[in-house]
Parts: sequence; C-alpha cells; structure tokens
Amino acid sequence: MHRKKLTILLVALGLTPVLAYLAWQHVPAPLPARWSPQEVAILQSLALQSLPPLPPDPGNAVADDPGAAELGHHLFFDTRLSITGNVACATCHQPEHHFTDQLQLGKGIAEVDRNTMSLVGTAYSPWLFWDGRKDSLWAQALEPLENPLEHGSNRSDIVALIRSDTDYRQRYESVFGRVPSQQSTDQVFANVGKALSAYQRRLLPGATAFDDYVAGLDDAGELQPNTHMSTEELAGLRLFITKADCTNCHNGPLLTNNSFHNTAVLAAPGMLPAMGRTEGLRRAQADPFNCLGDFSGAGEGECQELRFAKGGDDMIGAQRTPSLRDVSKTAPYMHAGQITDLARVIEHYNEADLAMIGHNEAKPLGLRAVEKKQLESFLRSLTAPLATDPHWLEPPESLPQDALPHRQQPQTPNTRGEIK
Amino acid sequence: MKQPERSLAIVIVLGFTFAMATSGAATSPLTTVSQPAGLHVTMQSELEPVTINQMHTWIISVHDTQGEAINDAVIQVDGGMPLHNHGLATSPQVTGQPGEGRYRLQGVRFHMNGEWELRLQIEHAGVPYQATFTLTL
Repeated sequence: MHRKKLTILLVALGLTPVLAYLAWQHVPAPLPARWSPQEVAILQSLALQSLPPLPPDPGNAVADDPGAAELGHHLFFDTRLSITGNVACATCHQPEHHFTDQLQLGKGIAEVDRNTMSLVGTAYSPWLFWDGRKDSLWAQALEPLENPLEHGSNRSDIVALIRSDTDYRQRYESVFGRVPSQQSTDQVFANVGKALSAYQRRLLPGATAFDDYVAGLDDAGELQPNTHMSTEELAGLRLFITKADCTNCHNGPLLTNNSFHNTAVLAAPGMLPAMGRTEGLRRAQADPFNCLGDFSGAGEGECQELRFAKGGDDMIGAQRTPSLRDVSKTAPYMHAGQITDLARVIEHYNEADLAMIGHNEAKPLGLRAVEKKQLESFLRSLTAPLATDPHWLEPPESLPQDALPHRQQPQTPNTRGEIK
Repeated sequence: MKQPERSLAIVIVLGFTFAMATSGAATSPLTTVSQPAGLHVTMQSELEPVTINQMHTWIISVHDTQGEAINDAVIQVDGGMPLHNHGLATSPQVTGQPGEGRYRLQGVRFHMNGEWELRLQIEHAGVPYQATFTLTL
C-alpha cells in the first residue's frame, strides 16, 4: 500500500512540470478590458481609414486617366502580349486570387525564380518587385513583357500590335494624343507600361473586419470582443502590435512599410541566396525607364526615392515587405515561395535564425503555442473583397476571345528553359 | 576605451527629443553640441510631426560657440536604429545651402516606429566634428 502511494506521488510530481508547461504553452492569457491610448493610436494608424488618397505618379502623366486605365485593362488580360500567345499579365496576377497565382514560383512561358507578388495596393509603393528593381508601377509593368520566362515578347512586337490593331491604335491615340507609328518604339513601349499602371492603380484593398473594428472603437478604447472580431483574433491583434513586433515592418494602413529587410529567409532548394535590395537598387539605377530616365515625365526633384535610395552591403539579402492585407489568400509566402503557410511564417519569425547572407534584422519572439495560433487567427481575419469596381476584375468584353488568358497550366519548358 | 568609442559615448544630446505618447511621431527642432565641442547644431524637419514612411527634408543649422553661422562645412549623414541593429532606410544627402549656416538635407524616410539616431559628420576648417541626434517615432 505504501509503495502504491509512493508511486502515485512520484508520478504526480513527474507530471506536474509537464502539465505546467502544457498549460503555459496552450492556455490563453486574459485580455485587458481596454486598449491604452498608445495602442489605439497604433490601431488607427493600421486601419484602412488612415490610407491617404493615391499618391501621384509624376513620371506618368496618364496615371489617373480613365481612358488609360481602360487601355491598360485590355493590355493586362491580352495574351497577344506574349511570344507564345498564351501568357497575359493576368496569367500570374489572377484577380480571383488577389492578383497572385497560388504557386510557389510564378509561371509564364516557364517557371521564374520569384513568387508572384500581389498587385493590390502596390500603387502606394515607391518600389516594385521583391528587390525593388523598378521605381514605378509603369516601369515595373514593362519587364515581364520582355522576360523570356514570362511573356517572352519584345518591345518591337508589342509596339507592332499597338500600331496594327485598330482598337488599340484608337485607344492609344485617344490617351496619348499621338499616332503610335509616329513615335519611337521605346516611347510607345513606355506608354504601354503607363497604361498598364493606370489600370493597376485601381486595384485597392477593401475594408476588413479589423478596419470596421477600429472604426467602432469608443473613446475609452473598450476592447469589445465579438463585435467585429473574436476574442482569439483580438488576442492576435494585440500580439501583432506588441510582443510579435510585426508592426516594425508591417505598419501603416497597407500593413507594409514598402521597405527592404533581411529576415533570414532561407534560399529555395536549388537556388543561391538572393542578394535582394543590394542588386535590386543597382538595376533600378541602371534602368532606362526609371524616374530620372528619358521616358519619365518626372523632374529631378520628384525622384527623391531613386536619388536617395539606400543600397550597398547593408541591404544584402533584404526583400520588400509585402502587404498583409488578404494575406491568407496569397500563400505561399516569401520571395521564392519558400514558406507554404502562415503557421510556418509565424514559426520562422518566432525562431529568427541566422541569415545565410547579410544579417537577420528580426529577433526571436518567444511566442507560446497559443499565441502563435492567436496571431494566425488575426492574420486570417485581414481579408475582404477588393475596393475595386468588379468591372476591372474581369477581362474587358471587347477583347477578342482568342486573346484571353486560359487557366490551364502553361507549357512546360525543357531542361534548357526552351519551349518547343 | 578607445578614443572614438569614448567620443561617441560622451556625445551629449541636448535639446529636446520628444517621444509623443500617442501618435508614434516626433517633433523637431533637435539641438546638440558637437564632439569635439565647438559647434552648435540644430535640425529642423520640414515634415511636422515627423512620421514614418514619408520622404522628407530637414534643415541643418551650424553655428560656432559665438553664434556665428558656419557656411563652409561639409556634412555627411548616417544613422539607424541602435536597438534593431540596422541603418537608415535611405541615404540622405545635403543638396543645398540656403545661407546663414543652414544646409538642406534631402532624402530622409524613417520606416519603423522606435528610437532613431541621426549621426552627422561635419568637416569644418580641417577639423572633423560629430553631432548625434536621437528621436523617437
């Protein structure tokens, strides 16, 4: 009998730290009754109500021209802008997937080495692509057209289409006031990018439950769970702005600072570590279509982002912070789609390992298991239909049927990247 | 302690650095004295309050201990977030001199809330001076 009691005691003593650890990992901490004034200010800075009007694009005189947006709308969905006739911008930037493609790596004519970034809200970013190798939305739109793995076309063929297709020629003349055959190939090509930009500027995120929640906060900052957000989502939001340090980079109403950070994301299998912003800025500075170039309408004083950009060794391995709006719809994550889901992204930042190249700006977070779930729950709540007229989310009705993108898998290249 | 380290360590940040309680934004001017002593340096932002993610310009004013404007200084600016171990998000540069000891510093954009340092290297009459400012956004 004595031995039995002793055994029970020993088992209980052995289980106690295990149970305590499990409780510490999995039992949520109680939420406070209200947000502090500082926290309310942070929440308001993250809400869509704080989003300013679209910034002007001084390099693009037709950025907000409705006719240019219509022209860009046609170009965006037109597969004739590819050498194979089956790749359009919308092949990778699919409206139904928040203008991404759900693939680890984008696939036009063939697979590229980068994850497809969403276009929603990118008109607010001074830099485009993961490494910021373009300094405007219109300059960005040009590169995939001539990338052999994406559209595989070239400016001569694209300009020939604008000059020969009656509908495009008329739209072009209406927007730019010039006959495309009387302008240089480079100028017409640049204007194709400007029309595409005018369309893409209209792709904007919609108000989420989080935004409605912030709009409904009272003066006392009462937490008010289960009005717009669940207790778990609110706990995740609290972590987002405090312990998890997410707002270091995912700040402002688009939940991105549109800057570049090395967060020690491992290179994708079979790839070398990406140089990131260090290489991206070099390319932006050399780009003939940049803010200071001949095809930009901007004066030197309007090109401050380019003139005062930070490059060099400090930016090795740094990639652009993506927006977290609609983040649950844009998996997989990171510049080469290395991380498949949000739980693993959170784990990545929780551990904050050493970087392969450069140095990791992030530090280990020490999040408990329950906190990681709460944070994920909040991130999943950041979803809403786009604040964009549905008209822009479908191919234009006047686009020829044979120019529309198909949703089947694009052709697969052989090992040399060639298409037969 | 090596001389440069001691120099940095004893930089005296005078003036006022505001950590506004509610907005995550700071106001200027910021004022300090150089190390080694000899220059009074003031920085005034053209963006008030200073907030994150906006490219903006500062005016740096440099005077000697008698209050005379220094118009022949060469100024280079660096900085970062000491607690985050990273530098500035941009490469600001002095692009003009409006006169009376003032220097226009263009290309400043902070991209995170928290404590920032702006470190000025000021070359004047063959002497290198340092002036360090902190501000909390």
